[in-house]
Amino acid sequence: MDGTVRQRGTEEAVPPAKEELRPSLHVAAWKFVNRHSALMALFSLVCFVVFWQLSSGYLISSFLIPPPTAVVRAAIPMMYSGEYFQDVGISLFRIFIGFASGTAAGVFLGLLLGRLWFIRQLFDPIIEVLRYLSPTAMIPIAVIWFGIGEMSKYFLIFWGTFFIIVVSTIDGVLRVPVTRVRAAQCLGASRVQIFTRILIPTILPAIITGMRLAMASSFMSIIPAEMLAADSGIGYLLQASASLAQTDRIFVALVTISVLGVMVDSLFRFMTRRLLHRYTVYLAAS
Amino acid sequence: MTVTDAPHADVGSVALEGGEALAPDYLLRLRGVGHVFGEDEKRYHALDDVDLDVPRGEFLCLLGPSGCGKSTLLNIMAGFVPSTSGSIKFENREITGPGPSRMMLFQDSLLALFPWLSVTDNVEFGLKVRSVPAQERRVAAAQYLTMVGLAAHSHKFPHEMSGGMRQRLQIARALATRPDVLLMDEPFGALDAITRRNMHRVLLDVWEKTGITVVFVTHDIAESLLLADRIAIMSLGPRSRIQDLVDLRHLPRPRDPATTEFGIAYRRIEQLLNETPKAASVQ
Repeated sequence: MDGTVRQRGTEEAVPPAKEELRPSLHVAAWKFVNRHSALMALFSLVCFVVFWQLSSGYLISSFLIPPPTAVVRAAIPMMYSGEYFQDVGISLFRIFIGFASGTAAGVFLGLLLGRLWFIRQLFDPIIEVLRYLSPTAMIPIAVIWFGIGEMSKYFLIFWGTFFIIVVSTIDGVLRVPVTRVRAAQCLGASRVQIFTRILIPTILPAIITGMRLAMASSFMSIIPAEMLAADSGIGYLLQASASLAQTDRIFVALVTISVLGVMVDSLFRFMTRRLLHRYTVYLAAS
Repeated sequence: MTVTDAPHADVGSVALEGGEALAPDYLLRLRGVGHVFGEDEKRYHALDDVDLDVPRGEFLCLLGPSGCGKSTLLNIMAGFVPSTSGSIKFENREITGPGPSRMMLFQDSLLALFPWLSVTDNVEFGLKVRSVPAQERRVAAAQYLTMVGLAAHSHKFPHEMSGGMRQRLQIARALATRPDVLLMDEPFGALDAITRRNMHRVLLDVWEKTGITVVFVTHDIAESLLLADRIAIMSLGPRSRIQDLVDLRHLPRPRDPATTEFGIAYRRIEQLLNETPKAASVQ
């Protein structure tokens, strides 16, 4: 408590240079970190890679954890041959198909269940039971149902996405403030207008959050799905490299998953900020 | 000051039994309105036998302690909640649901406003849903935003404004659809004292310019004395009803809290509020 008060005080007291106290080092550092958060993120990642490089081969066997240089060396021929981009492309495409269909179906059912109390009572228990079946648990039966082709992967990503989106959409609908709906009723909005002009904009933040969670879940479930039931994709790359004990190639795949996840989430956040900014900004203010 | 202790007396009307035809232009007429929440053991008899007439153009304050059912009564007038018994007529027609002629204004402005719409778009909303052409909408929005002093802020968003500005926006948005009555549920309760004073001025100005009817819920005696033509004092629940109707139309406007008349009225209302628990225990 005392600390935050002092900190805020010094921050604001900087411009009038009347009887300025000597700015202490930690305050200067705090201000720097606060202003250059992207730079700091880069800095901490660089530190991590340097530590990784230095420790591998000295602290830990370079077979178990190959150093970044070895990972890059393994990645270059994979990229040249084109297999790398093919695997990345097919995995992303599977995620996209399963994610898009799962989101569409999830929002639709979520709106339905959120709005219609009776149907919610009917379907909620079923959803509650099914949503604990992770996509990984569904792999064996998916392979039996859909075979080893693309459909089983679409289904598994769909499965993971769908329940997250349904639950967050229902939650969004149930949290729509009565006051706002009543205000719209007074202003003469019809039931349809309240649905399209009040309900949908109000629950958009909940759906966006659900989509981000579902995207992370899709990235997690595509890997086991491809390891167990595919002959392409990043998961297959992992599986094939493991069977040949090529740890450098395994690390290429692992780094790829992390980088892709961060990139897709950043893109998603960038797009929602660009397109849907007005539906989310006020939340921070209220 | 006239204090009619009998709640059934129609202040301002010609006292005739069943004299509907002779009554002045009543906008809202409540007869024997009761409301019960919940069922069985959780049953709570909030309102009982509320009679109230609101003539067109009147500024009526509903004054009472917290939990006396003021907001419930207002929600019933708005048509959000059906009453369990009695009749509520608006322009001689039974109220069955919310309608654009009865406009509610809420205390929580961030919930009531549409935060993804700009100030102008908020004001235009009520016109847009009834397909008023864009040109007309823009003119109306500009007119009412000017009336509440927000013309310079038309491109802002609700969350970028102060609480007082948001309440002025709520008033402008309400007026744009030309309702007959504003139902205000402690609209300035969350504002600081100075902002609230300004809001009183804005509201009275709007009321005088438009001739609109206002039903204003508050638990603040001074606020009701500053604003109201009449104050309906509600008794403490359960089974709360309108205990007294205080006529303030003899107090000149703009009202000055420093005057003797204001002080006398204040004391009288305080006395009436203090009688509330006694009246309840007698029952």
